[in-house]
Amino acid sequence: MAKSEDCIPILQGLLVFGNVIIGMCGIALTAECIYFVSDPHGLYPLLEATENDGIYAAAWIGIFVGFALFALSILGIIGIIKSNRTLLLVYIILMLITFAFEMASCITAATHRDFLTPNLFLKQMLERYQKAEPANNNDQWMTEGVTKTWDKLMLQNHCCGVLGPSDWQEYTSAFRLTHYDADFPWPRKCCAMDAQGLPVNLDGCKLGVPGYYNSNGCYDAISGPVNTHAWGVAWFGFAILCWTFCVLLGTMFYWSGIEY
Amino acid sequence: LLPLLLLLLPAAHGEVKHVQYTPFLTKTPVLEGLTTGSTFVLEQPRCIFKDYSNADIWLVVALQKSSFNNSVAPGTAESAFQNFPDSVPAYMTLNATLANYPCPEHDGNITVLRVGSETSCIRDDARPTCNGPLPGPGPYLVKFLALKDSEPVAETDWSQPIMLRTAKSPNSISTTDEGHSAGMIALTTILSILFAILLAGLVAMLVFWGSDACGGSSTFSKPEAVTVRRYNTHHVYDQPAARL
Repeated sequence: MAKSEDCIPILQGLLVFGNVIIGMCGIALTAECIYFVSDPHGLYPLLEATENDGIYAAAWIGIFVGFALFALSILGIIGIIKSNRTLLLVYIILMLITFAFEMASCITAATHRDFLTPNLFLKQMLERYQKAEPANNNDQWMTEGVTKTWDKLMLQNHCCGVLGPSDWQEYTSAFRLTHYDADFPWPRKCCAMDAQGLPVNLDGCKLGVPGYYNSNGCYDAISGPVNTHAWGVAWFGFAILCWTFCVLLGTMFYWSGIEY
Repeated sequence: LLPLLLLLLPAAHGEVKHVQYTPFLTKTPVLEGLTTGSTFVLEQPRCIFKDYSNADIWLVVALQKSSFNNSVAPGTAESAFQNFPDSVPAYMTLNATLANYPCPEHDGNITVLRVGSETSCIRDDARPTCNGPLPGPGPYLVKFLALKDSEPVAETDWSQPIMLRTAKSPNSISTTDEGHSAGMIALTTILSILFAILLAGLVAMLVFWGSDACGGSSTFSKPEAVTVRRYNTHHVYDQPAARL
């Protein structure tokens, strides 16, 4: 009897500590997902046009799950200190529902990240960049988004195309339909620009003289932020869930031992 | 006037000197746009025509070697860019003089000729010497021809066949056959197992609700409130009956 009476405060203390960590992680998850949803790198139009924006859905779920984790951790702390069976049962059931949602968020983020390959962005860029005749309003919205995003990407990151300027030569594109290959072997934004936003040497750019055009592809500039986003949501969520699993098992054990 | 002149002097032109030079695509610097879908970049023929200081040097672009006759005059319908390749087998463009190709070569600048760079005169019949974009992937053969007073006086060799780039359709890009990464599979598996264990734990909890299966009822119990009922053991109520 003496031994089990010593165990009670220890188990309670551990569970309270576990719930405090869950609460803090919930707030951190909410903050992280708000950051990703705010799209600091401006890549959302590209994902929206591929109709593959699952990582954004995962981040939205993450915002609400983080909040729920914080609220439920407070409920859990109260339930453990009061040793109240009803409160703890409600806590366990709601936590399981939150666990399921967070699991969905992690799996969605990881799965959709695997879809975002260079070929996907290449095909979308060729089909939509500066497309002249959009089919409907939605198409026009996506075309404008893709064109603006690519222009910004190529200017800021000094890159051209997905794998390089040869993307524009190897494949026909919507851009090629309205721009002569002789005048625009690749878009103007691929040229090295001066302070006024004009090409430093247009002939050098058209010839492809090293130094007067951007020879790198933009895929690294796209996949870096997208990877950070997807892995940040998926693996941080996974870590939280592993910890929550332990705390929930402990709470279930504690609950089953409370006198009613 | 020029075709008339050539008709009147059929075989009177002198020998066309053969200059030992083969036109080639620029080797230095390495150019990204060396060949595109409709243009290519030739090295300028510097120090080649040094004996022909007042000749016009023309570039001849043809699809087949045999089809071009040196007596064809530039700026006529027989050598017009607009008629190539439908009705003429070759065209002449990029008129220059020795002043444009000075010796020594490579004085620090890039010395190239971009064939196909003028897009403004593609359909302008008034400009038969247009340096327009090439109409197909080729292969094209080029040579330089020097004309003095409209008479050919020197020519270079024909170049090696020059193939231009052909572009594929973006529909040929496959976006679907990528597998799933190991990380995603591990994440899904582990989370599913954890969730299954938790659900099993919840079911076990609810099934054994109230029973003492784990730990005994006295493990986490609150202190028991013991109440003692007071028993009145004296039968005081029988005495009044005894007094009567």
